[in-house]
Amino acid sequence: MHNPPPAILLEDVRLTLSSVAGPVNILNGVTLSIAAGETVALLGPSGSGKSSLLMVAAGLETATSGRVTVAGVDITRMGEDGLARFRRGRVGIVFQSFHLIPTMTALENVAVPLELAGIADAFDRARDGLAAVGLGARTDHYPGQLSGGEQQRVALARAMAPGPAVLFADEPTGNLDGATGAEISDLLFALHARGQSTLFLVTHEEALAARCQRIVRLKDGHIVADARTA
Amino acid sequence: MSRIALALRLARREMRTRLAGFRIFFACLVLGVAAIAGVESLSTAFLTGLAEQGRTLLGGDVVVHLVHREANADELAFLKKRGRVSQTVSMRAMAYALKNGAEAERNLVELKAVDGAYPFFGAVSLTPGLKLPQALRCEAGVCGAVAEQTLLDRLDLKPGGLMRIGAQVFRLNAVLNSEPDRISGGFSLGPHILVSTEAVARTGLVMLGSLIDYNYRVVLPAQMTPQQFKAEATAAFPDAGWDIRDRSDAAPGIRRFVEQVTMFLTLVGLTALAVGGVGAGQAVSAFLDRKRSEIAIFKSLGADGGLIFLIFFFQVMAIALAAVVTGLALGALLPFAVEYAYGSDIPAPAHFALYAGPLLLAGAFGLLSAVACAVPPLARARLIAPASLFRDLVAPADARGALPYLIGAGIAAALVAGLALFLAPSPLFAAEFLGGAAAGLVALRLIAEGFRWLLRRLPRPRAPVLRLALANLTRPGAATTGVVTALGLGLTLLATVSLLDNTIAAQVKDRLPDTAPSFFFVDIQPDEAARFDAAIRRFKSAADYRRTPMIRGRIVSLKGVAAKDARIAPEAKWAVSGDRGITYAATPPQGTVIVDGQWWAPDYRGPPLISFDAALAQGMGLKLGDKLVLNVLGREIEATIASLRKVDFTTGGQNFIIVMSPGLIDKAPHSFLATVRVDGRDEEPLYRAVTDAFPNISTIKVKDAIAQVNGLLQQLSDGVRAASLLTILSASWFWRAPSRRAAGAGFMTPPRCLKCWARRGRGSRRSMSSNTASPAF
Repeated sequence: MHNPPPAILLEDVRLTLSSVAGPVNILNGVTLSIAAGETVALLGPSGSGKSSLLMVAAGLETATSGRVTVAGVDITRMGEDGLARFRRGRVGIVFQSFHLIPTMTALENVAVPLELAGIADAFDRARDGLAAVGLGARTDHYPGQLSGGEQQRVALARAMAPGPAVLFADEPTGNLDGATGAEISDLLFALHARGQSTLFLVTHEEALAARCQRIVRLKDGHIVADARTA
Repeated sequence: MSRIALALRLARREMRTRLAGFRIFFACLVLGVAAIAGVESLSTAFLTGLAEQGRTLLGGDVVVHLVHREANADELAFLKKRGRVSQTVSMRAMAYALKNGAEAERNLVELKAVDGAYPFFGAVSLTPGLKLPQALRCEAGVCGAVAEQTLLDRLDLKPGGLMRIGAQVFRLNAVLNSEPDRISGGFSLGPHILVSTEAVARTGLVMLGSLIDYNYRVVLPAQMTPQQFKAEATAAFPDAGWDIRDRSDAAPGIRRFVEQVTMFLTLVGLTALAVGGVGAGQAVSAFLDRKRSEIAIFKSLGADGGLIFLIFFFQVMAIALAAVVTGLALGALLPFAVEYAYGSDIPAPAHFALYAGPLLLAGAFGLLSAVACAVPPLARARLIAPASLFRDLVAPADARGALPYLIGAGIAAALVAGLALFLAPSPLFAAEFLGGAAAGLVALRLIAEGFRWLLRRLPRPRAPVLRLALANLTRPGAATTGVVTALGLGLTLLATVSLLDNTIAAQVKDRLPDTAPSFFFVDIQPDEAARFDAAIRRFKSAADYRRTPMIRGRIVSLKGVAAKDARIAPEAKWAVSGDRGITYAATPPQGTVIVDGQWWAPDYRGPPLISFDAALAQGMGLKLGDKLVLNVLGREIEATIASLRKVDFTTGGQNFIIVMSPGLIDKAPHSFLATVRVDGRDEEPLYRAVTDAFPNISTIKVKDAIAQVNGLLQQLSDGVRAASLLTILSASWFWRAPSRRAAGAGFMTPPRCLKCWARRGRGSRRSMSSNTASPAF
């Protein structure tokens, strides 16, 4: 029986950044394999390297050494333009601060990754995506005219619209109040279930992490625990 | 193509944001483009006017010009066989007002005698509105004349008043308002007066060797072109020594002046674009700084660096295009504004219209400048890492990807410079101007970088405000370098234009030495030379009196090559462009400085030798032993350069570029030129004594001539002031940009600096989160 390749495979990944005070070692030999369709939460204290690990896995940052394979593609040596093109349609990212483009409507924000991926009916699919997050009536609203929760819904619709193989979420409820955060969490897992993508979630909330199939704990750039949830 | 369409679509959406930071970029481009479009349009209007009215300005299809002598019978027959001919005779003379039968005021005049056919084209405007032949008619020993109002004022005469020129009495029948061919006549030292050719013959001033210009205007039949006429005339009379001008270039002096002023003002416009360009580059940088977050978002969603570049390039170029179109509209209106404001006061003919060529040129300058200024910061923007969405500390991007863009910007800048050089009538001057501007830019950049380097090494002050200011000046991304460069370039340009303005006046006022003569006397006849010498020497204060033989001739060939085909430096071309004064001397005239070769022996009577102006010789590539051919009174004389002299034209005295050895030239009919310096109190008595005793001699007061030149320079100075205004406007727009950014660079008072710093902090925090950002429409 042939095993499908992992959705994310990190092999002895190290990340060192230079600063005025000297080099900063952020990831110190991380090895991690995440199967396709799996939901994984990455937990750890501030400064442990969670967001950096997500960035390396999402191709937003290039590892100093080691090997990174995402959706079966080795992205370790890709240049920044190559990584950008790789992300099109394959990778969706949800940010803690939403990062919508303020000059574009909700519909246009959701359509951007579809347009970048060269999808012809980008706006029809974007409209469907917004309907799926309950914002079918707010397509022409600008981010400034939406609440925080609504903006994160738009961000979720934008990340999921191209049907990515992997969905990365960096503290998706970090900027929201409890009730809104819970709504977004529900939506996140519902969309994941519908799209059958792999979910790699960075959070510091144990409750949110517990909804994933697996929890990986990071400290000082090292994985210190990797366990399946009950 | 779909990539470009996508970039255009995304750029259009992105442009919904406020473009407040682009006001400076917009204003600089509008100003630069409007200046170039306006200057070039105005220039085209004048050059078109000159070309269209060439026949009127020239007074015919061709003008055959002879100096010292009339056309002989054969030459005249040749001209009359080819078309209708009108003759005019021009000279300088003294006019004396006659009051109660006695001579009163007198003045130098530019006299033009015309025949009955004059003018072939256009009309002479007189007040009262008489016909010209009627106004110039001779009756009962008195001939009619018409003169400019200035002469009537100076002679204190009214229309109908009497005056004398030479031996002839004239009645001033009308005021001369305008002549159709006036501007093709060149520089005037006195008021213009028209008389008939019959009358000028009666003055007794027309003598062999006198400085008289004979012009024959010819109207050619339709089947003959001016070029054919010139070819036939040259073939029939190769030694005539005449100068033939045609309707296609009726007023070469005016055309050259318009072209030179256009080049200067276009270069000033380009420099204004360069000054604005530095500001424009900073405006684009600031804009992209505000867009860092959006750029990172685009990248995280899959936009590569090339697409990012295109999105923001299209935005910047859309603003540039709007600015260029606005500038072109303003520039296109300038000729009409000039026509509205000055109308009939404009001294040269102009055809005010909308001209596509100048607008295309200015548009190209504007867009290429925008590309040159905007692309470098845009190229850096494509390197913004998407990881910056998460934290400030990111791995540096590979800057090598920006190189093609920087090369592209360099090509755009080179095209601007190349276009300016290609179109300039004097590429060397344009190259020096542009090279100077570029060198200034580099020098200022180095000074700015040195300033930052120095500041970084200063000990940190204990006062928090000063510490903060110093830190802001040296922090990464501070506008210090740009501000210093911009202020420096703006000030340099202002200082240059202001100095130029002052220098023009200073050249005449300050550099004319105290030893400059008080008078020039022209057309002293050989038989009256001794009497004239005595008349001058009667004045005790008379000093530096020099009387020199003078004859006019032209250089027709150099080292066997025709003057028109010879390679001559632009600054030396004037010497072969027409007749020049030639003298002869057995011994070096007083003050002669020989820099090469030797003067001929006092008793030398061999083949003609020349002592030539050393600076002109260099410009013409001449050296000792080279041969020149001169045409004097229709006869060609070959002479060898025996020595080179330093000729200083700033002395204000007699300066001949050609001094010949006696033996041949002294046999030609000629007159004398004299100069003398007297005390102020003797000036008027000497003037009266000479003009009373020698009515045929033209007496030029140097003070009056200088005043005339100063008037012209004043007009030129006004043009330079207009250029100054342009640069001041450009620089002031530019300075508004850094003044706003100065808080970041530490160029503000401490309290304002702190407030701005606080605002900057809030702005930075706000820009990191899109949830508070709102669109602006």
